[in-house]
Amino acid sequence: MRKYVPKDNVQKKAYYTDRFHVVPRVPREKVIDTHFEATVFNLGDYVKDSYIEIGQLVVHIDASENFAVLKILKEQCGYTQCSEQSAVDYLAKDGEFELFWQMLNVNEAKRVRVVCRLKEGLAIESVEPLFKSANFAEREMFDMFGIKVNNHPFLKRILMPDDWEGHPLLKTYPLFGDEFASWYEVDKIFGKEYRDIIGPENRDPGKIDIEDTKRFSRVGYEVPFGTEYNADEEVDIAYSETALVNYNKKTSKQLDERR
Amino acid sequence: MAQHQVNYASSAGLPIALTSVDKLVNWGRSNSLWPLTYGLACCAIEMMASGASRYDFDRMGTIFRASPRQADVMILAGTLSKKHSEFARRLYDQMTEPKWVISMGSCANTGGMFNTYATVQGVDRIIPVDIYLPGCAPRPETLQYAMMMLQKKIRRESADMKKNTKQDLTTQTGKRARLI
Amino acid sequence: MQVPNKLTPFFENLNFERDDNTMVINFGPQHPSAHGQLRLVLELDGEQVVKAYPDIGYLHRGIEKMAENMTYNEFLPTTDRLDYIASTSNNYAYALAVEKLLDIEAPRRAQAIRTMLLELNRIISHLFFIATHALDVGAMSVFLYAFREREFAMDLMEDYCGARLTHSAVRIGGVPLDLPANWLENLAAFCDKVDYEVEHTYEALLTENRIWKMRLEDVGVISAEDALNWGCTGPMLRGSGVKWDIRKEEPYELYSELDFDIPVSDRCDSYGRYRLYMEEMKQSTRILRQLIPLYKETEPQLMAHAPQYISAPKEEIMTQNYALMQHFVLVTQGMRPPRGEVYVPTESPKGELGFYIKSEGDPYAYRLKCRAPSFFHTGLLQKLLVGTYLADVVTIIGTTNIVFGEVDR
Repeated sequence: MRKYVPKDNVQKKAYYTDRFHVVPRVPREKVIDTHFEATVFNLGDYVKDSYIEIGQLVVHIDASENFAVLKILKEQCGYTQCSEQSAVDYLAKDGEFELFWQMLNVNEAKRVRVVCRLKEGLAIESVEPLFKSANFAEREMFDMFGIKVNNHPFLKRILMPDDWEGHPLLKTYPLFGDEFASWYEVDKIFGKEYRDIIGPENRDPGKIDIEDTKRFSRVGYEVPFGTEYNADEEVDIAYSETALVNYNKKTSKQLDERR
Repeated sequence: MAQHQVNYASSAGLPIALTSVDKLVNWGRSNSLWPLTYGLACCAIEMMASGASRYDFDRMGTIFRASPRQADVMILAGTLSKKHSEFARRLYDQMTEPKWVISMGSCANTGGMFNTYATVQGVDRIIPVDIYLPGCAPRPETLQYAMMMLQKKIRRESADMKKNTKQDLTTQTGKRARLI
Repeated sequence: MQVPNKLTPFFENLNFERDDNTMVINFGPQHPSAHGQLRLVLELDGEQVVKAYPDIGYLHRGIEKMAENMTYNEFLPTTDRLDYIASTSNNYAYALAVEKLLDIEAPRRAQAIRTMLLELNRIISHLFFIATHALDVGAMSVFLYAFREREFAMDLMEDYCGARLTHSAVRIGGVPLDLPANWLENLAAFCDKVDYEVEHTYEALLTENRIWKMRLEDVGVISAEDALNWGCTGPMLRGSGVKWDIRKEEPYELYSELDFDIPVSDRCDSYGRYRLYMEEMKQSTRILRQLIPLYKETEPQLMAHAPQYISAPKEEIMTQNYALMQHFVLVTQGMRPPRGEVYVPTESPKGELGFYIKSEGDPYAYRLKCRAPSFFHTGLLQKLLVGTYLADVVTIIGTTNIVFGEVDR
């Protein structure tokens, strides 16, 4: 029987998990009396939750207030760089994306991660007017997750081709790609009618095709490139010659009489 | 007194060499292979290293050219992504005959470790390949060996390129066009 | 007559001339000085760039997707292929992020070796930068000289881990191997060689070179405010006068014990950045020299002791039952970090290389985001190229020192 794979999350799963396995959590520390206190104080009511996780402040906010929060962080708290921005797909579990902005304060060497949850299908406000680095980062987020960004100057696919279908980093997207992805280059270059001639992709790295004369797969029956061969006919093994030894020359010492 | 006369046919053929046109043409072709600088990924760095000081590709008559119109060999060095595949084929079409292709590195051969949605699983899906060069990334010596193997292959070929069997996916005749 | 079909369309006949007297020029994706597969669509008014549009993604290989489908140890060799010029810095950044998540620390000898490898990789990367940058500007001989020295550094890396380019020389929790015999002597000799060559070859050839100065001075100018705003890090940021180096500000490994300077240039142009790279190489050799005695004082332990996450040394696995069982579980199932998220920045040769890992307690990362410096430096080209001349485009691409493995991932 084929193993059941949930369609909404095709990420690889652990094949075995101990029944008594309890997943611990990375410790979260309180913000009070740390050098991040002023940041949280400045943000005021925008903060829904805040804690320190592995040396960095994490601030949870509402998705609609991201621009205001980042503006305060930039103008009042000195976080002048937005190092990274992306999303995490929680659609299968919660029907939401988790978006994060990784902020850096160069003068005080502090980092803040602003986190918000965005419902599926909703759009987020662009922070491009504040941080130009968000220009590419938001485009990448749109490309990879399909999250629309409002007021972005040029919201277009960035990593994948413009005519690509699907958003690769969604959990519903398989690692090997879907039907469209697997024929993309053939359709684009030769046209759909060449699918038969070129054949499907080989996604199995351990596959050995005995008919294949070119990829060194006919182990023991290697022939030069492009040689016509008959599967029944036995062929001599052709080694590539080197400057020192000519392996193709039959000598009495040659022990390997493989056919 | 006629000793100064040289019998060209009998002595070891001093000023005269007898050969076939095929051999002469292939000698010329194989000893000045100009590859296209087509660095795609990591292997491109090793390709550069083999052109640089220590490995010195120039001594083999191999000089990298920037334009496909001037190149004989296309060294596909690195991962070919699906987005790029169209351009790889266009560059191959722009090269003048005779042309050869070296697929350098595991990614170009079979997709290698990048068994994902975005990579072409072997450049031979779109371009006919002459030499497959394994390794991730292959050392410069390996690339030089591949070039020597290609020279050997060229010397074996017929000078008339039409006689040489090549993968030609563009032929409309027959479904089983040679898939080499 | 040419018959247009899918393979041979009439690209040559496309009309690039437009009514507003600007011309659209297509740069790449196969261009010898594009440092990989960069495609730039440039709108030119005469010789001047009016608008630049970097088109990336030609080397997108789905590395972040792979990370979600690989165990943590499996994924480590893939990080080699991000910034393939200095592979160890990627391995290290990833290993450090996972270590922070697991809350373990590598033993001191491993830290010394890692710091050495990181600095060696910085030299390799900077040598590569000067080679390609000079080649793009037209100084062929610097390319040959820099590659000569780079080969010596590659030899050192090869002696240590066996690979020239894709090292995988760092493991989560330590390093796999101790340094081979005579490595430190070779390293010291290499440091002397680099110091000599930087001063007497590259700087002698380039620093006062009239052509080099004319090509680089006041080209690619970016102010400190803009550099921060566009997400520049590393030499791009320090070249604009912001003294920010993660090795100093948020030190990791042995950097807090080492004595080195952070070169800063407030020229904000390509020439300042070039001087910065040269100075950083000298600082790297300075660090490497200090590390040699530090290494000799350490205990010979290479991997952290954390049986839940990291396999015991081979001798223990072969002799002790429990270590063997742990090893079996870790190899077949992979390590399971606690639930949580972490972002760890490191100073790679190109800038701030950070890994964001979101773990849900599974052996596979729920989300891995690689914060690549080159990605944002490529975005900067939109601003940097506007107003420059076409001939300077190549210089500016060279000075940003982008590597497409990590731009596209």
